Order: sequence, then structure tokens, then C-alpha cells
Amino acid sequence: MVGRIKVAGLIAALLVIFLPSFTLAQDVNFSVSPAVLSIDNLPPGEATEFELTIHNKEELAHNFTIATFQPPEEERRERRTEFPDDSWISFSTQEIEVAANSQANVTVTVAIPQEQKWAGEDWEIWVGVAAESSDLLAVRLYVRLLVSTNPAMEARSNAGLVAGIVVGIILLGYGGYYYFRRKAKPE
Amino acid sequence: MKVVITSIVVALILALILSLPALAQESGTITITMTGVNEISISLDKTQWPLGNVPLDTEYTTSPPIEWCTLTVEGNCNVNTFILGEDAKWVDNPSAYKWTLSTDGTSGENVYGLWFRISGDTTRGPLSDGYVPITKTQDEFWPYAGGSSLAPGNTKQFGLKLLTPTYFVGGRQMQTQITISAVAA
Repeated sequence: MVGRIKVAGLIAALLVIFLPSFTLAQDVNFSVSPAVLSIDNLPPGEATEFELTIHNKEELAHNFTIATFQPPEEERRERRTEFPDDSWISFSTQEIEVAANSQANVTVTVAIPQEQKWAGEDWEIWVGVAAESSDLLAVRLYVRLLVSTNPAMEARSNAGLVAGIVVGIILLGYGGYYYFRRKAKPE
Repeated sequence: MKVVITSIVVALILALILSLPALAQESGTITITMTGVNEISISLDKTQWPLGNVPLDTEYTTSPPIEWCTLTVEGNCNVNTFILGEDAKWVDNPSAYKWTLSTDGTSGENVYGLWFRISGDTTRGPLSDGYVPITKTQDEFWPYAGGSSLAPGNTKQFGLKLLTPTYFVGGRQMQTQITISAVAA
């Protein structure tokens, strides 16, 4: 009986593991601004940028990571659709160390490819900032990024069409002019 | 001759008049707007839960069970908050061994369960006891089911529950992370 208990105890000891056991408390308190940012009239084929500020409110320096996140439909603002491609958003750095009680800026660039189908759209994507930590609980703050493209891409196509018509009219006019001039010449 | 030239000039003027609005649209300026109040921040007063040695298929709850950690809305905007879990990985070799996070809070072989419960919430979750499984999909923390978002200064207390796998390889230190996130409401 005693032997069985010993074996059972040994098995239990072998199965025992350590779940997170850390020595230092590393609470993270930080803020991100802006919380909501709207970019309007961004023409396809062009890019714009803005500064995202991370404020580390702790007494210790922290590393922060920055990444995009596609929110589910129910979390998006009304009439906003999914941002088509995360790679259109880039950061001056995806990881930054912010000293204690100080802040740092990250430049976010939004570039839309020059294609007709991206004109006149209203999208939403989130930019997440997280403090690197090995603790069980971590915090991530999202910037709600609302991007509206300019319908000017369509206008640009129309402008090309108009230019083409103008050139056509000029060529036709000159052709007609020389034709009638030659026809009118006495033989 | 004169008729032809006059026609060309008139056509050109007409074409330019028609294309002017379109050309004017092209020169529209890009506007960047930071809407209203503009700093987002939440804080947690506790981030660690050291459990030490744990046996198979055993349930652990934080102490106190549902007022273990306090989330405080710091910034100056109302927020919606979310919670996300992940697999627990072996600290010495994370790619070699893990416990998969359960999709419904239950446990299995090398599968563990995680739950949270917000203080004052006694009806939420599959068992209607206030405990909600934490999964690898980012889910609502607060509000849920169309409730009110949290305003600056608001707090929410919550606790965690962990269910160890029914089988796992012993003697390995495992590590996991729960991410609580916030976005402007």
C-alpha cells in the first residue's frame, strides 16, 4: 500500500509543471493618440502619412510593437467596409523603445494603388500598439483608422477621355482643312 | 478655311468647359481629421498569476475569483474592450511543445481551458454563471450584446479560471498570455 502511494506520488511529481512564475512586476500603463483618425479624399495612386504617438507612463522603458488589425464587421463604423490590403499601410518602425515617462512618434503611411476600383471607397482598419511583456496579462490599444478615397480616379479617366476627344477633333479639323484646301485648288 | 478654324476653336472651348469640373476634382486636397477626444488608454492593476506546480485536469481560479484584477479606462475617450488568449508554450523550446487553448473552455490531452468572469456578471457565458471562455479569437470583454461602452474613469473588475490538460508532459515550464485590448467606441 505504502509502495503504491509512493509510486502515485512520483507520477504526480513527474507530471507537475510550472505555469507562469515571474519575479518582477511589470505593469504597463501607456496611451496612444490619436484614438480615431479619418483620412478623406485620398486619391488612388497617392499616399499620405500621419504621426502616431505612444506615451509610456511607466517608470521603466518599454518596447512597443505596431501592427494592423482587420476588425470584424460588427465592430466597424457604419457604412465602413474592410480595408482591402494591410500592405498598403506601413510604419516607420514596427517596434520602438520608449523611455520611462516619455513619448515617441511612429509615422504611419497609407498608400492606395492607382486603380479605378479603389476610387470612392470608405474603409476601416485598426492599428494596434502593444507593449512587449512576458506577463500573463498584456494590453493592446487600437487606433481606429478611417480611410475614404477620392472619386477623382474616375475624374482622371474622364479627363483622359476628354483630352482624347480634343485631340481627335483637332486632327479631324486639320484633316478636313487640308482635304478641302486640296480639293479647292485649281488643276 | 475660316469656318474650319472657327469650328476647331469652338470644339476646343466646349471640350475644356466640359472637362474643367473633372480636372478641378483632381486637385482636391487630402484631409486628415483627428476626431474629437483623442487619447486612448487602459490600465490593469495586475498582470501576473503565478501558479507554481499544477497537476492534471485541475481547475484554478484567481483569488479573489472575480475581483482579482481591475481594468481602468485612462485616456479621454469611451472604449470597447476585447480579450484574446493563445496557446501555452514551453518556455525552454516554444516551438517544440505547447498546450493548445481550448475553443470552449474545456480541457483535453495537451489542451487547456481559460475563462474570465467580470464582477457583477452572473448570467453571461455558456453555463450562464458569468464565466466566459477565452479563445484564440478576439472576443468582447466589455461591453457585450450591444451594451454601453466604458467611459474615462470607469473600472471593471474581473477574475480568471484555468483548467489544466487531462494529459501533458510534466516537468516543463509553460507560459501563456492573455491580451486585453481597447478601441475608441
